[in-house]
Amino acid sequence: MTGTGPIAIGPEQLALTLVFVLVAGVISLVYNLGLHKSLAIGTVRTFVQLFLMGYALKYIFALQMGLPVVVVFAAMVAAAAHIVHGRVPEREVAFGLPVFGAMVATYMLVATTVTGLIIGADPWWEPRYFLPIGGMVAGNSMNALSISLERLFSSLRARRAEIEMKLSLGADYREASNDIMREAIRAGMIPSINSLMGVGLVSIPGMMTGQIIAGADPAMACRYQIVVMLMIAAATALSSFMVITIVRRMCFGEDFRLLLHKDRD
Amino acid sequence: MNIFDLCGLDFIWPDGAPCLSGIDLCVADGEFVLFKGPSGGGKSTLLRVLARLESPNSGTMLYQGAPLNALAPERYRREVCLIQQTPSIVSGSVRDNLLLPFSFRVNKELPAPDDEALRQGLDSLLLSGVRLEMPAANLSVGQRQRLCLLRAMLLSPRVLLLDEPTSALDPESRRVVEDAAEHLCAEQGVTVLLVSHNDYQPRSVAFRTVNLTGCRLVETV
Repeated sequence: MTGTGPIAIGPEQLALTLVFVLVAGVISLVYNLGLHKSLAIGTVRTFVQLFLMGYALKYIFALQMGLPVVVVFAAMVAAAAHIVHGRVPEREVAFGLPVFGAMVATYMLVATTVTGLIIGADPWWEPRYFLPIGGMVAGNSMNALSISLERLFSSLRARRAEIEMKLSLGADYREASNDIMREAIRAGMIPSINSLMGVGLVSIPGMMTGQIIAGADPAMACRYQIVVMLMIAAATALSSFMVITIVRRMCFGEDFRLLLHKDRD
Repeated sequence: MNIFDLCGLDFIWPDGAPCLSGIDLCVADGEFVLFKGPSGGGKSTLLRVLARLESPNSGTMLYQGAPLNALAPERYRREVCLIQQTPSIVSGSVRDNLLLPFSFRVNKELPAPDDEALRQGLDSLLLSGVRLEMPAANLSVGQRQRLCLLRAMLLSPRVLLLDEPTSALDPESRRVVEDAAEHLCAEQGVTVLLVSHNDYQPRSVAFRTVNLTGCRLVETV
């Protein structure tokens, strides 16, 4: 280590990390797990995507213009929305676009609040702060959204009879599905809450680790990490609430008819 | 005035299979209509269409002379109440289940029955042994079906749509549910549309039998 800066990782050292993936691949082949292809693709994607992102960030940091920062942020959210859409196997309700819209709105709100108000970056879109913060928000809460959406759709299908019973007694779509919505949001929030409980005890999170390795004061790294953790929890709650509220309405058609899965008599 | 006027009603499943075809049907206020026919003939779907849980592909439907959608769905369903074949309950006590509809916004204007009224209702459906505070999940299928019927009756609906309400019941429970439906029609003027697979025929009320076979209303007796 030289001074307080990080130890540089050269191409040879980077190549050495491939040994870990090779070992995992061999295990997959020997035990016929069928994961070696995904592992290989995932590894290549990790290299390509992160290098591209690294060079893009370097370029954007140098530009010091707001528009490219917002465009990159929108692209990151679009990628997150695409991943969420791919993970939730629901094709009766076209939820892709509303999910993207809700994600952009909530992530933008949280990321701008954190960079502009809490960190006090000037301007608020200062790419060195805004893009990593926005990326963390999108990356972490998309898992919550996948879980919440999957739970929402599966519960609406499984409890169709109960929903229709309530509708038949005069309930509107909200009254007929409020408990399902609550469960869906709660299911998505559990990993974030677990993270809040376990941070510092079970794990030293990536951002804090990165800052410490880069030579930052651990106390400062700790403050940043607290901001990040709370920001992720808030973004997860907000985006889950917004997305589930919108998508739940989409699951009910005219006359509050449940549009998912129609059984024949 | 008729309570329902259906004209040229068609319903096609999303995969293109026809379910109801050219249904013309008038139901008088206070009438007891028995729907018969083979499984898959469209009886349950017709009740679901009348409950606005399914939307027909074509045709006109009038409720008391006005289009079905003249009333908001919540208000309409409070008046035209569907009870499905499989009794559906929510977690909680028997009381929670019976009072569930009164927690819905549209029913807030109705006075919620007190425990005494609930007990009388349970007695009338031979559920005297069922305590209001016991978990509804502990009830048998027959008891649940009667609970569902009582829950709907507490809303004083104008129309009851009963989709094979006795298919899973023992003979005694079946008789109780059938008698209750007939009583509602004869004494309180409730219009009853009942789907039945078995050889049930109302004993204490005049009725009409409608046969639905192969998606068509083929005979009215």
